[in-house]
Order: sequence, then C-alpha cells, then structure tokens
Amino acid sequence: MNFAATLGLALPIGIGLAAIGSGIGLGFMGRGAMEAMGRQPEALPRIQVAMIIGFGFIEALTIYAFVTMFFLQGKIQ
Amino acid sequence: MALAFAGLLAPSRPFGAASLLLGQLLAALNFLFLERLVKLFTQASLSKAPADAAGARAGVLGWGGLKMAVVYGGAFALTRWNRLEIWPLVAGLSIPLAAIFLKAVMLALAPRRSPFGARKSVGSTLALALLAGALLAGGLAAAGVHPSRALAQRTVTQEEATPPAAHPGATAPEGSAAHTVSPPNAPPHDVPAEGGEHGGGGEQHLPNWLTILNDWLPGNPAVHWMHENEYLVFAWIAGLVFLAIIVIFMKRDALVPGPVQNAIEWVVESMEDVVGGMLGKHTHRYFPFIMAIFFYILTMNMIGIIPGFKSATSTLDVTLALALITFLFVQVSGIRNLGILGYLDHLAGSPRDVVGFAMLPVMIPVHILGELVKPVSLSCRLFGNIFGEDTLIVVFVGVAALCLKASLTALAVPPMLGITALFMLLQTLTSIVQALIFSLLTTVYLYMMLPHESHDHGHEHAPADVPHVSGSFPTEPKEVKS
Repeated sequence: MNFAATLGLALPIGIGLAAIGSGIGLGFMGRGAMEAMGRQPEALPRIQVAMIIGFGFIEALTIYAFVTMFFLQGKIQ
Repeated sequence: MALAFAGLLAPSRPFGAASLLLGQLLAALNFLFLERLVKLFTQASLSKAPADAAGARAGVLGWGGLKMAVVYGGAFALTRWNRLEIWPLVAGLSIPLAAIFLKAVMLALAPRRSPFGARKSVGSTLALALLAGALLAGGLAAAGVHPSRALAQRTVTQEEATPPAAHPGATAPEGSAAHTVSPPNAPPHDVPAEGGEHGGGGEQHLPNWLTILNDWLPGNPAVHWMHENEYLVFAWIAGLVFLAIIVIFMKRDALVPGPVQNAIEWVVESMEDVVGGMLGKHTHRYFPFIMAIFFYILTMNMIGIIPGFKSATSTLDVTLALALITFLFVQVSGIRNLGILGYLDHLAGSPRDVVGFAMLPVMIPVHILGELVKPVSLSCRLFGNIFGEDTLIVVFVGVAALCLKASLTALAVPPMLGITALFMLLQTLTSIVQALIFSLLTTVYLYMMLPHESHDHGHEHAPADVPHVSGSFPTEPKEVKS
C-alpha cells in the first residue's frame, strides 16, 4: 500500500468521520437551542445568535478536515 | 525613519539611497507647497475684504509658481538624471504618503464618536477595511505567500508537467482550447464544461470574465496581471460595489427611507442589537468595524453568484488577510483598553492566587497559542465554506455540460442546471451565514478581550477556540422554570 493509495482511502474516511462528529455536535446544539426556544420564545433572537455562533464553531471542525483534504488532494497521483 | 531606510540601502547601492532620499524630499516639498496653497485658497474664499482676497490671490500665484518650479522642475531634473534608480524613488515618494494614510486611518479610528453616528461611519470604515484588506492581500500575493495559487500550481504541475507561470500571458491553465473558441455572447454556463472535465484532482474553477479576457488579449501585461490576481480584482470590485451602494443610498439619508436604505438600515440595526448585547458600552466604538467586515465579506461572497464572477473569499489569501486584520484589531483594542500590563495579565490568564502564579508557565503559551489560532480558524472556516460551495456548483455544472457534450441526453441538462440553481440558493444562505459568523466571532473575540465588570474571568480559561458563548452573555435572561 503506497502513499497515494493510503491518502486516497484516508481522505474520504477522514472527512466522513469529521462530518459524523460535527453532525452529532450540531444535533446536540440544535436540540438544546430548540428546547430553549420552545421554553422561552421571548429570548429567541439571543438564542438564535448563540446557536449560530456555536454552529460556526462546530462546523469549523468539518471544514478543517475539508481544508486538509483539499491540501492533500493534489498528492494523490 | 526615512534616513534609516536610506542608511540601510546606502552601503550596497549608493544611488538607490540617493534616489530614495530625493523622492522623499520631493514628496515632502510637494506636501509643503500643497498645504500653503490650500491655506491660501481657503483664506481667499473665506475672507470678505477684497484687499485680502487680492493678496491671497497673489499669494496663490506666487506659491503656485514656486511649487511648479521646485517640485515639477525637480521631478523633471530627476528624470533626466540617468543614474536614477526607479524603485527607491517610488518608495521614497510613497513613504510620506503612507505616513499620511496611516494618520488618516488613526483619525478614522479615533475613539470619540457620536453614539448614533455609527451607521454613517460604516461606509468610511468599510473603505478602510477594503483598503487594508486589499493592501494585505496584495502584499501576500506580492511576497509570494500565495497559498492557494502555490497549491494550484503544484497540482497543475503534477497533472500537466508545465506550470502555468512557464508561459506567461498565453492561456489559462485549465481547458485552454475550449476558452479560446468561446464566443463572447456564449452563456457562461457553456464555458465551464472543459474546466470541470479537466480537473483530475486539483482545484476546479468556473472560468470568469477575466479568464475570457485573458484569452482574448494574450500577452497584455495588465490583463495578465489581473488574471493572475483575479481574487484581488474581485475583492476590489466587491468592495467598490458595496461602497457605491452605501454612498448612493446613505448620502440622501431620507426621513422616509426607500427600499434599499430600509433594508440596509434593518440589517445594521438588527446587527447593532446583537453586537450591543455582547459588547455593552463598547459597542459604539467597535460596531463600525464589525459592520464593515460583515458587509465586505457578504459582498465578496455574494458576488460569486453572478455568472462570470467569482467569490473573492474562495481563496485563502483574502480570508487570511481579513482574519489578520481582525486579529490585529482585537489585539490592539485589547492593549488600548487594558493597558500593556493588563494585556499581559490577560495573556497570563489573570493569576490572582498562588495556584494561578504557579500555573503561569503553562498558561502563557496556552493563551498565546489560543490567540494565534483565532485568525487561522477564522480564515479557514470562511475559505472552506465558500470554496466548498463553489466546488459543488462547479461539479454540477460540469456534469451538465458533460451530458451535453457526450450527447447522452439533452434532457439531462435542465435538471442538472436546476440542481445547480438550488445549490446557488444554498450558496446565498451560506454567504449570509458565513459573513454573520465571521463578524459575530470578531465580536466574541473582542468581548473576550475587553474588560467587563459583571463577570469573573472564568470563561476565558476555555481552550483556544471554544469560548462558552452561550454561557457568557452579559445580559443572559434568568432561567425561568415553567
């Protein structure tokens, strides 16, 4: 198994793993936010803002994997 | 400073140093005369007495003639001097300009600002951010720190064994044969076919009008430069577009706002609510910067939806420049608000007891690392999102064009383009959300850096990138058990 083949296998798997993790995180986050919104509709804008910021942080992890893949993609030849 | 520069140059290139000094002298003289002239002009227009005005007019003539003789004569003499080195001269000419520019920047960022003038200054700060961003991106590009292009060249080299820089001015690296024959009135979606088809593993781009222009006018250095630095060009375009919108619609400042003014005011006001909830009394000082960043990124993201244009943020250069600006802004405002000692104390994690001081050697690197990670994460997030969306659209357009080319079924093309349109909708959403996230994270970083009374600094011990945002709003509502 050479370097390129390893990369070709590992990059999609890595992205997938990152996406799974982010998905779980997003799920928790969204659930919490939705419950909070349901309990306190009057605090909705503030919760939404916090939720979006949190989404940004969580999503960034997948984006890191994506950027890494993008940087290493050229080496699969 | 000028002398220091000249001194640095002097040993190796005496004429370069001389040129530098002469350029500075020329620029300084120019400004001196300009100042006199402007003063005289204002006097002439302000004074009521005719004698005064006449005197001022004579003064204008005199000083103007002197300026002509000294400055332009000097410049002419300089051009005649054949030992002149051009780049030091230009640098010398621009150093006073740069100093004045920096002074203007400092004036624009001056802390005294009327509370409700925030909206008006968005435009000026936008111009500032635009300039700084363009300068930084240009600097990055010029210094050869060009991550994405270096990457593209690497991948292309591996694919075709001829780097695109090897034949300057010839054609685009991707699908040159297809672009040269593309007629000017071809719908832009026909062109990308080859680009999407070509890319085995590297970047895939939709060609934009700069690509087409470059194929029309091969060898034109200006066009080639624009093609090489197309992201920079699109960043400028985006900034200018939004600046124009702001200037046109905010200049009138109607009491009953028109639709565009209404929309902009709504965006600004709702952002002010959000930012104000976090920054509190610091809002009015930092709001213009945050808003400028927001609108600039939004425009740069959205410009990619227009066919033939490209999101300027889909390269690391531009996003890194923006993130570096934000980073510097946050650090400088932290130093300004906390003082040098307070800033160092903040970096050390605000030790207040024995344990805190004992943990110092650990906390300082952790905090410094945490600060340094911020621009990286900001830029990578923006770049990754926008670039991912663009790549998605390129892939779908490429598939549609492939169907058309292989004449599988022409029926397959409309659904493909429909899906592309759907993804463009998604791209709009991503553009807005990413601009929002960038500006809100800037706010959060500012909030973490600024002093605030009601909280202990507990939340700041969070690891690098993950402040406990939801727990740290100063005006968080009390939990109501129903």
